[in-house]
Amino acid sequence: MNRPPVIALFPEASFGAALNCVGIARELAARGAEAVFICHPGFTGVFAEYGFREYHLQPEPAAVPGRGETYWQNFVTTHLAHFDLSPQAQLEAYVAPTWEAIIDTVISVEDSLEALLAQIQPDAILLDNVIMFPAILRSGRPWVRVVSCAETEIPDPCVPPYLSGLAPEDVAGRARWEKAASATLKPAHNRYNAFRRARGLRPLPAGEFLECSEGLNLLLAPSAVRYPRMQPLPADRFVFLEGCVREEVPFDPPPLPANEGPLVYMSFGSLGAIDTDQIKRMIEVFATLPARFYVNVGGFMDEYRQVPDNVSLGSWFPQPSVVAQSALFIHHGGNNSFCEALFHGVPSLVMPYCWDGHDNARRAQDTGTGRHMHRSDWSPDALRGVIETLLEDRALRDRLAAISADMKAEPGVARAAEAVLSLVRAG
Amino acid sequence: MVGRRRAARNNHVALAQQIVALVIDRAMKAGDHMPEQSIAEACGVSRTPIRAAFKILEKNNILIRKEEEGYFLARGAQDGLVDTNVAVETLEQELFTRILADRAARRIADVQSVSALARRYTTTRVEVLNALKILSRDGVVSQLPGSAWAFQPLLDTPRAIAESFAFRLTLEPQAILTPGFTLDPTRASTLRTQMRAFQDLPDARLTAAGFQRLDNDFHIMIAEGSANRFVQGTLLAHHRLRRMAQKEAPPPFRQRQAMEEHLDILDSLERNQLELAADQMVLHLRRSGIRRPETAGRGMSPLLRGPQQAGARIKGIAS
Repeated sequence: MNRPPVIALFPEASFGAALNCVGIARELAARGAEAVFICHPGFTGVFAEYGFREYHLQPEPAAVPGRGETYWQNFVTTHLAHFDLSPQAQLEAYVAPTWEAIIDTVISVEDSLEALLAQIQPDAILLDNVIMFPAILRSGRPWVRVVSCAETEIPDPCVPPYLSGLAPEDVAGRARWEKAASATLKPAHNRYNAFRRARGLRPLPAGEFLECSEGLNLLLAPSAVRYPRMQPLPADRFVFLEGCVREEVPFDPPPLPANEGPLVYMSFGSLGAIDTDQIKRMIEVFATLPARFYVNVGGFMDEYRQVPDNVSLGSWFPQPSVVAQSALFIHHGGNNSFCEALFHGVPSLVMPYCWDGHDNARRAQDTGTGRHMHRSDWSPDALRGVIETLLEDRALRDRLAAISADMKAEPGVARAAEAVLSLVRAG
Repeated sequence: MVGRRRAARNNHVALAQQIVALVIDRAMKAGDHMPEQSIAEACGVSRTPIRAAFKILEKNNILIRKEEEGYFLARGAQDGLVDTNVAVETLEQELFTRILADRAARRIADVQSVSALARRYTTTRVEVLNALKILSRDGVVSQLPGSAWAFQPLLDTPRAIAESFAFRLTLEPQAILTPGFTLDPTRASTLRTQMRAFQDLPDARLTAAGFQRLDNDFHIMIAEGSANRFVQGTLLAHHRLRRMAQKEAPPPFRQRQAMEEHLDILDSLERNQLELAADQMVLHLRRSGIRRPETAGRGMSPLLRGPQQAGARIKGIAS
């Protein structure tokens, strides 16, 4: 082969997956491969800023009539209240409608994806998503599944069900969850399987929307938080990564009028930033603590007034660089955030909103790498107490320092790139 | 009086920045002697303002003064000088800077009384009034009837940023196309050297502050070159507002690409190809204005907030 291998990275339309893939793409490029991105509408330019070529999906408008900007604004606003519900209550209120929306996306971009893959002619496709796009399997190209939400995506009798937020030993809870999930997700699952059949693919077993790759599966699950499995995953196809933490521009914390104490970073992701009332409540508590707080408020800067002297707001932070300087990271349990905290030896206070946030919050608590707290059901004293405890816990810090050293010794991005290129060479 | 003092200080800061550019240009090293006379000649000024500029550079830890020997470089061209913001601090300047910083950080409300600000900064009403007058000349704040002062809207929301780019797309190419546009050759040459030095820095040294300073300096130079005084004044006021709100910077690839676009525009301007330069400015602003989604989540379509114009969707505030 004279030309460098072309790897098409296809992350879902979320920042976590998008920036994960940027980390892997850089390592692929450093090893001589050409990394290109297939991107959803709305993510135009995100990858080009990092120097990668973008190919843009053109959704079929007829597939999802009436779903413009207003529809999605309403979708987000409607679900704000649902983020306070338990994981099981979210099944019907949030998870099922979200699966329906994900399936809509799969259907609407199928033709466009098929055309792009024919144009790119990739040597491998890297899919960082929770669902299969039939065009990928139909292309016949080697493909890689990136499991970047939580390890719970790959089921096992010893691993709690995906999105349940349960502990592995909660047998009764598991039975309740499985019964509820099976009933609630059945309509979406049937619809998805019908689409697969129409595209010539075999249907998937109940509850599954994405098969494992026959070639390579990358699991972003650091050793410190991995589950023991009853059926170990074959090492030739399943590669566990110590996270996928990318390098970002250096962060020089702007000095605050009250510029003393440890640095605490808070980000609930771009979706979490919509709950400005909750973030304002938290900022009131921050004002009473002897620490410096840097808070990601996304596109909602205009909602904030009279910001306390020890708090700085931003609409975008180079997160890995900020976390590296933090004494505590308050986040929503996104796997990227959790991995970045572990990578830099920083305790997590996880306040989950939805989806894999519940699984990662439980895992942080169970593995002693952080604390799990309800995102809105707390008193100011309780929140203050948890933050103070996490900032003062030296044993936790020592434990996390050891985890950080292990993770840095085997950076996930490099391991991922090498595994992908081995697959290409073997293919 | 306040205005004259401030103008003099600004001149000295500009001269200090010019000296920094000279140091970078000559690849001078830490410990090199900085003779007043030759530096004054290189900058085309007398020794008196050079002394004032040297004092500013000493306070910024760029120069050190040795008794009876004069000034020496504390940091050389290879020691991150290109990232350095030369700052000047006097009591009055400090208060004005603090008010500006607190306003940019949304610590103080849209409308403020002099007494409330005097209490916040534990200073006198006179000091506050002087600082507000400085800010009002920059268009950041204006006096309401009575003793209240109103701050201009901040340029930190998706909508404001989108409007800013739309505004600049209209006016910055026009600044170039208006007959009589002139480029200050010394300043352009200094900026060119600084931007090239910036491009050569390793990723770990590409700071948001370093990028924003060069970005601002470039766009201000374009505004000041316009022969239309209204275009010039409006753009300069807008760039001051941008500078106040700037916090973030794009990834290293885009930072270097943006500098390359600046250099391409400079090339065209120096060849007097103004139409080409104006087109390149449009390209540069459109690329800088690509906006990342404000809200993205599993299953939902990424949302872009703020007004959208065809082809001018906005991401950040630096360009």
